[in-house]
Amino acid sequence: MPPDSGVMANTGEILAVRGLNVSYGASKVLFDVGLSVTPRQIVACVGRNGAGKSTLLKSIAGFLKPDSGAISSGPTRLVGLKSYEIARMGIKYIPQDKKVFSDLTVRENLELGSYASKDYNWDRITDYFPRLKQLMDRKGGYLSGGERQMLMIGRALLGSPKVLLVDEPAEGLAPSIVAHLKDVFGELSKNTALVLVEQNLPLVCAIASKVYALKEGRIVAELADRESIKPDVCERYL
Amino acid sequence: MMNAIRWWWGLLLAFSLLAASWAFLPLPFVNEVVIFSIYTMGCSFLLGRVGFISFGQPAYLAAGAYGTAFYLFYFGTDPYVGILIGILSGLAVSGIVGPLFVRLRSDYFALVNLALAVIFYYLMQKVLADITKGDNGLWFLTRMSSTPVLDISTPSHFFVFAFLVALAVWAFYKYLDDSIFGACCLATKINEDKLEFLGYSNYSVRLLAFIIANTTTALAGAMYAVYLGFVSPEITSPHRAPDPVVVTILGGTGTLYGPLVGAFAYTGMKDVISKLIGNWELFIGFLLVFIMLAGEKGIWGTLQPRLEKLFSGRKVGTVAGDGAEARR
Repeated sequence: MPPDSGVMANTGEILAVRGLNVSYGASKVLFDVGLSVTPRQIVACVGRNGAGKSTLLKSIAGFLKPDSGAISSGPTRLVGLKSYEIARMGIKYIPQDKKVFSDLTVRENLELGSYASKDYNWDRITDYFPRLKQLMDRKGGYLSGGERQMLMIGRALLGSPKVLLVDEPAEGLAPSIVAHLKDVFGELSKNTALVLVEQNLPLVCAIASKVYALKEGRIVAELADRESIKPDVCERYL
Repeated sequence: MMNAIRWWWGLLLAFSLLAASWAFLPLPFVNEVVIFSIYTMGCSFLLGRVGFISFGQPAYLAAGAYGTAFYLFYFGTDPYVGILIGILSGLAVSGIVGPLFVRLRSDYFALVNLALAVIFYYLMQKVLADITKGDNGLWFLTRMSSTPVLDISTPSHFFVFAFLVALAVWAFYKYLDDSIFGACCLATKINEDKLEFLGYSNYSVRLLAFIIANTTTALAGAMYAVYLGFVSPEITSPHRAPDPVVVTILGGTGTLYGPLVGAFAYTGMKDVISKLIGNWELFIGFLLVFIMLAGEKGIWGTLQPRLEKLFSGRKVGTVAGDGAEARR
């Protein structure tokens, strides 16, 4: 089988990564990374800064071109597709920097998402994040970090994506908002698979059904049972 | 609803001022202001909404002007048909170069457009001199036939026509600004990657914006051609390339009234100052430096919040309604 073949070993996978190698110029960042996500599963990637977690998500989302390896969603190969094509397939990336379109209002930000996904029903978003209802006319630049995260997740939910790739959702947020996000992710996983990149191990261990530990660009552990998905166990691999 | 009323009031006020200026100012001056404001609207949209700075707008102006001129010099006499052909010429040129140019960003985009203006200049002046008549230009003022209702071969009727066209162009850009497409343009300027996260193609958004803006510029070129009854390579002269950028910045980048205010101020200063000192561009240069150092908002960008405060009786820029007011 050629190395970049998109043929999946397990047809139940909604997202599969095989033998992924990614470099920034001459500097190699990911080494033979593999990952498997099934529908409605929460998968977490943990690791220290620089381990390659965000690079992995950006590669899946089509923002980085891998040196080699395969990324597939069902029968569709994602390598070589444009990032907007991947987004239109229902694989949405929520970046780490929590930057929304600062000159657009919350409403306009959501309208952009609605128009792209042809989904104009915002009820689910406002059910998850009632706070957004009060912020509709506020510009993105005036939102707090937590509000921005709500907006970004809400916007990504439009069109009922099949996979959400969420990069460090809890970074810099107050504990109460992190607790809220934890509940939201739990609810979301009833319809959507989530791939979280996160350093907040208690959050990850509370919601993930599979955890990949990344270290220096390599998967060093795959924890797939509730007994082993614990902060102290994860910590051992970092 | 209130917003709609407010901006229609602003629109009426702006164009009432223009109509009043017709009564007090020389007709050639107001005609030039109106055409220049249309010329600048495309540039302002590109710069303010999409983040593209172009020093090649004379190329698209010339595409419109020469499209009209070729028709009126060689084939027909109806100025309306001439303007339509000018618009189609601009559409064709921007449709051909757009797919190549919008792949570039910032400085390269500015320079490749400038290069296109240089190419157009030498094409019209030398290479195609047999049909463009080189520096002598194409004269067709007396070939234009009279048209019913609005006879745009006469300056006074032309002003009414130009006024209505400017109004339509302004309303079109207002509509664009409030549309999803307008939001996409702003989003691609702010963060192109994030627009793609949502499933939009940056390339498609930029290409459409480029074609819309430069077809507007071609419309201005076609109107110049009909108004002057003459087109020469000077219209695409590279040394006039910064003009629409200067007027955009002077009026207020990305604001809807900016092109009108900028065109009025620029043409006015040119007329007044050139009577006092020979090198009027020197004054414009100093003024631009001042505007940049004063916060890059331009004339309308500075006046707008003050006028809103004056008319609404409240402090502007607070949280509620910011989005709705952001791009007026």
